[in-house]
Amino acid sequence: MSTGRLLRQELVALWAFGVREYHIWESYRVNQVLWLTNLLVTSFLFFLLGQTLAGDVGGLLGPAYGTNYMSFIVVGVTVNVFINTNLADPYIRIQRSYFNGTMDLFLLSPMSIYTPLLGLMSKSLLDDYPRLLFTFGFGIWLFGAAFQFGAWPLALLFTVLLLAAGFGIGLISASLFYLLDIKKGTEPVQFIVQGIMATLLAGTYYPVTVLPRPLQWLACAIPHTYANDALRRLLDPGAQAAVPVLPIQQALPGLAPVLVDGLALGLLAVVLLPLGFWLYGQGIERARRLGTLTRWQ
Amino acid sequence: MAVVAVSHLAKTYPGQEVSLRGTKLEWRGPALWARNLVRAVHLTANAAPPVPALRDVSLTIAPGEVFGLVGRNGSGKTTLIKILAGLIRPSAGSGTVAGMGLDAPQAIRAAVSYVSTSGWMGLEWPLTAEENIRFFAALCGLPDRLARARTEAALRAVDLWADRGKYPSQLSNGMRQRVILARALLLQTPLVLLDEPTVGLDPLTTETILTLIRGTLRERGQAILVTDHQAAALAAVADRIGILEEGRLTRVGTPQALLAPLAAITVISIQTEAMDRPLGPPPPGVVAADAVDRPGALGVRTWRIYARRTPDALQAVLDWVEQPAGRIVLLAEGRPTLSDLLLLPDPGALSPAGRAQRGAGGGMA
Repeated sequence: MSTGRLLRQELVALWAFGVREYHIWESYRVNQVLWLTNLLVTSFLFFLLGQTLAGDVGGLLGPAYGTNYMSFIVVGVTVNVFINTNLADPYIRIQRSYFNGTMDLFLLSPMSIYTPLLGLMSKSLLDDYPRLLFTFGFGIWLFGAAFQFGAWPLALLFTVLLLAAGFGIGLISASLFYLLDIKKGTEPVQFIVQGIMATLLAGTYYPVTVLPRPLQWLACAIPHTYANDALRRLLDPGAQAAVPVLPIQQALPGLAPVLVDGLALGLLAVVLLPLGFWLYGQGIERARRLGTLTRWQ
Repeated sequence: MAVVAVSHLAKTYPGQEVSLRGTKLEWRGPALWARNLVRAVHLTANAAPPVPALRDVSLTIAPGEVFGLVGRNGSGKTTLIKILAGLIRPSAGSGTVAGMGLDAPQAIRAAVSYVSTSGWMGLEWPLTAEENIRFFAALCGLPDRLARARTEAALRAVDLWADRGKYPSQLSNGMRQRVILARALLLQTPLVLLDEPTVGLDPLTTETILTLIRGTLRERGQAILVTDHQAAALAAVADRIGILEEGRLTRVGTPQALLAPLAAITVISIQTEAMDRPLGPPPPGVVAADAVDRPGALGVRTWRIYARRTPDALQAVLDWVEQPAGRIVLLAEGRPTLSDLLLLPDPGALSPAGRAQRGAGGGMA
């Protein structure tokens, strides 16, 4: 079969996953309303927190990120949702599909082993990513967040790099389903990267500068930190682009902080994405060898 | 060229440790991660003994042939099917499926339709019957118009077109199994693998599915490998039948050829009470016996006794069984079917010499 025809076949399959996810999404309309309510409440919570800090926000956030806590937190939450989706969803999708038996069907269909994984992620396109518009909307129109969108192409580039690096980690996480037979319970990569490092170190709710110095360096190991830093500098009108915050930015004074963020994110994406695909392929092959590829024996 | 040509296939699974669930030693969280990591990089040997599932299986299936694979639960039927579908890599042996080597699973998948009813494999519960088939058609890369036409044809072939808008939860077990079968009709692949397609179905639905195998699939010239633990059901559709016993393909032949050695055997089914009492030595002419609990009636067991067909065989068996086993509640005599091949010893043992050796055996408690 020609490459073009193979590619077309994979695209048809991906589209089918999208249609399937749409049908499923459509059947849970009430969930969307509940989610919006939850988002509104969470945004309001951060608004109240910002009000409590009021005059101290400038000193707390430092000169790099301006003085608006709501702007700070909206970017943090956005980055967190983006990467959490790409990082956690591959494993969860594989796990669900395995246990309800649909993975058997996918692995029997004449498509690449990666197509089902990418197809199952179409839920993120339909559901998770659009929700971020509401995060921004509520932040701006209800709770006083302020943004400038002049550098939107660059912000978009950082977002793409963040998604790529996050998906790389997500693929590594998903590969452990087969490589380490982590079929139930907590998956270690997610737990360590997202559950511990991202929650504590990425600067989602507070700047990285409040952390002890060794932890600030540890924060430089995950993509979340760079995306938070860069997007705040690009989108917050009160931010100062030239003031270094992260230790790696301070260690490279000749480079603009945003450039350091871009290089680091790019490097993480270039390393993690192929590594993730390779490990996932290895996981499938191991499962085929051991006879654990499908649930039903 | 044969659609399936495999030789000396073997599959051995790693041993499974005894579950520690509910004990203080159960592996969880970081301990589980560490334990599995250590295993994955082969730092320790697996203490549990490996489980051989297939041993030295050689098999060819010609285009258009219906090959029935029969064996008890755990005899290796599903393992063999999954190897042919590219889902399991064999531990040893080699072969081709539709001309493609077993080490090219993605290429094999394009040449194989696989129907398994275990766990309602692949049915999407939020999608209707029609959407399920259309979804699979798209996964196989069929363009929309062609997918639409083939979906309709497939659903009509399994008599589900009128129910196409129903969700799996609104369909009966038999209807769901027909949806799965309709999926296999979408593509005219050289090989169709049907793993116990009639399991758990009522006789009428079973007949519908067998008719479909006999008719539609055979007419399309596809080679079919169908497994069932009910061998008798396969006799009506299969050109050849293979018997899998503990992972070995012990006998292969046409249904008639396989039944030929049993021509001189009569099967006597007896239900009695108080079957826990041991029977004495069998009378001459009894070659084997097997007893199972009748489903839903604990303590009432069915004996299936195989005896040489002679005028006094029935009476001899009655005399043997009635005294120790209690009142006879049901009695039937008939000819052996293919299902009996799983219960009976090797036909060679039914020779006079073999019978003499097995006279007191055959599962008689």
